Amino acid sequence: MSESLEKLQNRILSDAKHKADETIKDSQAKSQQILEEAKQRAQREFEEIIAKANVEAESIRRSILSSKVRVNRLRILEEKNRIVEDIIHSVEDRLSSFSKSERFEETAQRFVTEAVKAVDSDQPIVRIGFRGVSKRNLDGVSRVLPKGGKLVVDEKPIDDLGGVVATDPEGRVVFNNTFKSRLERLDNQLLTLISSTVFGE
Amino acid sequence: MSGIDAVKKIVETEAQARRIVDEASTKAQQIISETREQAERIRQEATARAQQQREEMLSGAKSKAEAEALQSDKETEQILNTYRKLSEERKATAVSKAVELILNA
Repeated sequence: MSESLEKLQNRILSDAKHKADETIKDSQAKSQQILEEAKQRAQREFEEIIAKANVEAESIRRSILSSKVRVNRLRILEEKNRIVEDIIHSVEDRLSSFSKSERFEETAQRFVTEAVKAVDSDQPIVRIGFRGVSKRNLDGVSRVLPKGGKLVVDEKPIDDLGGVVATDPEGRVVFNNTFKSRLERLDNQLLTLISSTVFGE
Repeated sequence: MSGIDAVKKIVETEAQARRIVDEASTKAQQIISETREQAERIRQEATARAQQQREEMLSGAKSKAEAEALQSDKETEQILNTYRKLSEERKATAVSKAVELILNA
């Protein structure tokens, strides 16, 4: 009886130890698996952060560069614009004193002829005004007017730079042939001409 | 040994067996718990390393871009100087051509 009891006790304890060992082994195996998965997950997260950082770094680089390129393009445009404006001011200066030129009379006659033709009237009224030009200097201009035409001489240059304005007697049709209006009409051609001459574009 | 004593012995042995199993279970839980903490440390260390590397990458990209931007400034300055020089050389011609266009167009 005593011997079989001892055997039973040993068996109970042996089973318990075996179960305990299995429990510890299982936990160690699970532990190993947890660590492996953690390492893999950490590596994935590391790679994701670095991949995003690569994109972010490229974005920062592009942002800085494109901003600088934009600013520099604007500086170049502003400088070209300044140069063109400066030339146009010189052109305006030259035109405003054009009445001193020996080509003045021929040019004024042509401006009047163009304006009269544009209003297409038998009795056009032509206003003319250039700096320093009086009626005395405009004999040639009177000759190109049609018989029913009327010449009005302004003492001051029309539109600041001078020129010619023709209307029909009722004032319904007006043709502005001043230097300023010609500058406006020829704006695109003028900019192209100046750009190609100065910048070779 | 009486039958009652034998039963007592068996009950004691079974209690001892339960303690062995319970202790193993507790130890197993402790192992898993410590492993989870270690796993979290591994993750945090990897994230910290990645963040550190990210900061270095962004800072490097910014410095490189600023250096390239300086080069763009230099090139722009050269272009502006060229335009100013061209303007000085060709202004008179441009003015004459423009005046002719206005007079004769």
